[in-house]
Amino acid sequence: MGSLFRSEEVALCQLFLQSESAYTCVSELGELGLVQFRDLNPDVNAFQRKFVNEVRRCDEMERKLRYLEREIRRDAIPMQDTGDNPEAPMPREMIDLEANFEKLENELKEVNSNAEALKRNYLELTELRHILKKTQVFFDEAMYPPNLPPDQAPYFDDDDETINLLTDISLHQLKHIGFVAGVILRERVASFERMLWRACRGNVFLRQAQIEEPLEDPATGEQVYKSVFIIFFQGEQLKLRVKKICEGFRATMYPCPEAPADRREMAMGVKTRLDDLNTVLSQTQDHRHRVLVSAARNLRSWMLKVWKIKAIYHSLNMFNIDTIQNGLIAECWIPVPDLETVQLALRRGTEKSGSLPAILNRLSCVESPPTFHRTNKFTRAFQGLIDSYGVASYREMNPAVYTIITFPFLFAIMFGDLGHGIIMTLFGAWMVWKEKPLSVKKVDSEIWNIFFGGRYIILLMGTFSMYTGIIYNDVFSKSLNLFGSSWHVPFNESTIRDNREIMLDPKQPDQYEGTPYPIGLDPLWQLAANKINFLNSYKMKISIIFGIVHMMFGIILSLWNHRFFNRRLNVLCEFIPQVLFMSCLFVYLTLLVFIKWVNYGAGEDVPLVLTPGCAPSILITFINMVLMKGYEEAKGPNSCSAYMYDGQFYLQRMMVVVAVICVPWMLVAKPYFLYRASKQRAMLGTGGVEGAMEETPSTMPVQPAEDHDMSEILIHQGIHTIEFVLGSVSHTASYLRLWALSLAHAQLSEVLWGMVLRIGLSTAGTTGGFAMYFIFAAWATLTVVILVLMEGLSAFLHTLRLHWVEFQSKFYEGQGYAFVPFSFDSILEANESTVTEAK
Amino acid sequence: MFIFQNIIIMLDSAFNIDCGYLEGLVRGFRNGILRQHDYLNLVQCESLDDLKLHLQSTDYGSFLANEASPLQVSVIDDKLREKLVIEFQHMRNHAVEPLATFMDYITYGYMIDNIVLLITGALHQRPISELMPKCHPLGTFDQIEAINVANTSVELYNAVLVDTPLAEFFGECVSEQDLDELNIEIIRNTLYKAYLESFYNYCKNLGGPTAEVMCPILAFEADRRAFIITVNSFGTELTKEDRAKLYPTCGRLYPDGLAALARADDPENVKQVAEFYAEYRALFEGAGNNPGEKTLEDKFFEYEVKLNVNAFMHQFHCGVFYSYLRLKEQECRNIVWISECIAQKHRAKIDNYIPIL
Repeated sequence: MGSLFRSEEVALCQLFLQSESAYTCVSELGELGLVQFRDLNPDVNAFQRKFVNEVRRCDEMERKLRYLEREIRRDAIPMQDTGDNPEAPMPREMIDLEANFEKLENELKEVNSNAEALKRNYLELTELRHILKKTQVFFDEAMYPPNLPPDQAPYFDDDDETINLLTDISLHQLKHIGFVAGVILRERVASFERMLWRACRGNVFLRQAQIEEPLEDPATGEQVYKSVFIIFFQGEQLKLRVKKICEGFRATMYPCPEAPADRREMAMGVKTRLDDLNTVLSQTQDHRHRVLVSAARNLRSWMLKVWKIKAIYHSLNMFNIDTIQNGLIAECWIPVPDLETVQLALRRGTEKSGSLPAILNRLSCVESPPTFHRTNKFTRAFQGLIDSYGVASYREMNPAVYTIITFPFLFAIMFGDLGHGIIMTLFGAWMVWKEKPLSVKKVDSEIWNIFFGGRYIILLMGTFSMYTGIIYNDVFSKSLNLFGSSWHVPFNESTIRDNREIMLDPKQPDQYEGTPYPIGLDPLWQLAANKINFLNSYKMKISIIFGIVHMMFGIILSLWNHRFFNRRLNVLCEFIPQVLFMSCLFVYLTLLVFIKWVNYGAGEDVPLVLTPGCAPSILITFINMVLMKGYEEAKGPNSCSAYMYDGQFYLQRMMVVVAVICVPWMLVAKPYFLYRASKQRAMLGTGGVEGAMEETPSTMPVQPAEDHDMSEILIHQGIHTIEFVLGSVSHTASYLRLWALSLAHAQLSEVLWGMVLRIGLSTAGTTGGFAMYFIFAAWATLTVVILVLMEGLSAFLHTLRLHWVEFQSKFYEGQGYAFVPFSFDSILEANESTVTEAK
Repeated sequence: MFIFQNIIIMLDSAFNIDCGYLEGLVRGFRNGILRQHDYLNLVQCESLDDLKLHLQSTDYGSFLANEASPLQVSVIDDKLREKLVIEFQHMRNHAVEPLATFMDYITYGYMIDNIVLLITGALHQRPISELMPKCHPLGTFDQIEAINVANTSVELYNAVLVDTPLAEFFGECVSEQDLDELNIEIIRNTLYKAYLESFYNYCKNLGGPTAEVMCPILAFEADRRAFIITVNSFGTELTKEDRAKLYPTCGRLYPDGLAALARADDPENVKQVAEFYAEYRALFEGAGNNPGEKTLEDKFFEYEVKLNVNAFMHQFHCGVFYSYLRLKEQECRNIVWISECIAQKHRAKIDNYIPIL
């Protein structure tokens, strides 16, 4: 049925749903994914719609599930992704789900708050233990002369002065000095110390020691580093002040007995409590783990269910409410071939709820329906290339079909290298081969996803490049001599050494065999000094030929558009002059190229007029043709002629005249006919309008009456004509990028070979072997990165441009909008990608 | 090399070398500010859950999605502020000079407010831990929680503020007096005056479009403070001389207008002073406390919004960061206002928000 060539017919349908069965029906349609609902209440706020409460309940469930998921992730419990796709549950099951989630959330919250309290307790005890341990050191230092037991002062050996100071104070005054011990975050120690010093005017003494192992913050679960400090001071005033500062810096203070025996006793007590707490904590953790593991098993399917319910209610919110019959009215776009399937789905939906059947009506519509191209995994990427320029207008010719071949082909003209082509093909083939496992594995890398999405394009581009590589006879800038060159060098060594330039003459049978190399370029050209000149001429010509064929093809496609949409005027006033214009100028140009290729040549029996020396330049011929210049006639049968065939001058002159006539034809004819038609209609009055209406075919959507404002039409047509006439010149020249890129690619790979790999190849001996090892690595990397990746990308972009601008401007409108069916699959996918992004 | 650098500095577009990314970011954020039609939808909401649903369709996205129903206004307020602070701090973390200092300057205002809040709280014997959540997160610093160590302003300076960026603004208000209500207000206003003047000079020295945009905004801020100080001082113990010391001198009122304000005895006098300045006259004319009239405060807010919106008309300057923050704060106030009206079922005044155009 040719759905590839045009977008599918899409019908606007009205759907009457019973309120009992609406939910199940929409659910079935969502599984099907073939229906696009129209929003019938665009003016109604999101919170004033009918099913807003259900949506809100779904939001609430989603929130609970997210909370569960976060907790599960925190404990690093694997979540099972079984890949099964549960159906949307019935509305009454929603309550069960809600209750279930509620229960789980509460349970988890309780466990968490218990665990947090326990952990806080645990943290306090650990801190206290550290304080007791560290302060022991401080006190020990104070009690004993500092240099006697060196092992007692492990933290501050280098800080002799401080210790002496402390010793002095302590020996005489320790009894009268109060102190506060506590724990503070390590990063706050510096400002804490400064603040203390400032606020107490240097009248306090602070010692601090770091706690080596990180402690867990019970609120956030993060690991934090802390320090133990002890502050000595004198007097109640200072004590108050110090305490205030400690509070201000969120230091936790702990009671610390002064007598060593008390401290030891306390340490013992703390240790036993810690042990007890540890067992309780591990039990709590176990419980939490069990809850989470059981939740993790079902989390994904719950999430899917909630998403589906939410999507259904969102769709239901777009419907109109039929108060009389207690039902819902929906309007939707359905592709015509799928009407049957949709009917079946609706029947399934009504059967499930057991109410009256849903009714599906086709409506006629004024606005143009959405564009729907059915794609498969192969065509999807190509359709994507076209859609990113602009979605096709409803039912116009779809360039994507032709792009499948022309795109890789034009790419390959620029990327012609057998070696690089093989690399690209292998890469593409690998992605196609491993398609299933690779697509299941979700990779976040955007670049990879682009490559993977375009795997078939890459595969085709690679194979086509291999073909053009064979034609150019180019493998990593070298040629393959598979069949033996047709050229031979008959000269002996001394002749070659003595003469700077030797030309091979195709006329001599000992130099040229007379039959060309079977396929592609003769490998001998690789050695020729004029290789570039020869290749440039060849590549430029084929660029122009392919370009003009491509553009002509585009113009011919516009005929199919005109015929399909019954625009006879456009055929007469646009298509025909366009074809004539192109043929008289540019198609003729390619003909000249072929004439030159076929007629002129070397050989035994070729008359002088047709020898290569006599061949006229096509560029000059073409310029003279447009300028309508004559040339001198050939003086005799043995002198060269500027003409390629008899009567060329008159034919060319006629063609230029035809081409020039085409311009006003395109410019004026259509506005004139439109003007005449509108005038006639005005004269005939209303009857005429009705007659005109009857002529319009009923299958086509009726366009809203165009405003035949003459000046607007004239301006539009003027722009169109100028665009086409100027475009035909600039677009033709634009195709020369095929040659330019191909030349650049060949030269670049030649430079890479000459400058890199050759060094390795020309180094002799064992060192050469080693050098080669590295040089080859460098060459291979550069080849892949620069020549395959970068050059490939640039050739890709140029090809894209040739398609979007040069080709599609001839026929493609691209004014449509895409058909976005209501489909659970795409909704779930979108949700999942936002979820992964949020992580 | 030096000349070369000067030339570069003169080129406005060189701004983009350092701050182009952030300017793009802030302009993107600015486009997310709620429009008139969003407000029209918001005021129609029946409950806070409706409000949440509508905010989800704006740039706020799912910022309330993880909050359990029923919503509290305070939760909305916290979340709005949290989002703004995250945005601001993201930009501050990526900023380089001179934008970094500029953005730091913005935060000093919040520091002053926080200090005053905490001291006042401490005077009323409220624990710091209870007050901390009320402080603006942009204005916190290491020492802030230990602020109740100080009983006099000298102590406040020596113990707490000397290490903070506010130290340089504190010079004038050091005294041995105990901190009491009046004193604190004086400290706040003196600090603010010094801060505004310093900020004004900083922007002026930056020159270029930054000065063009920021100076009028800060001048207006200064004048607004002068007006409000004067109006609020009537009927308090504050002497006229002391009052005159509190006026920031970087506004358009300086010097004549401020001198006249210093002599003012009642609100009528203030209005007379404003008569001499075209834009302020317009603000005072429409203002009033009767129903149907807008208060002077709202008028000032409206004018500020206008200035800040205009800041986005210029390119290549730091003012957009300030303006964005201000606009967004206004938006938060609006949303909170509307939520309060909805929550208290007091819909008569729901339209008293200040639209950001």
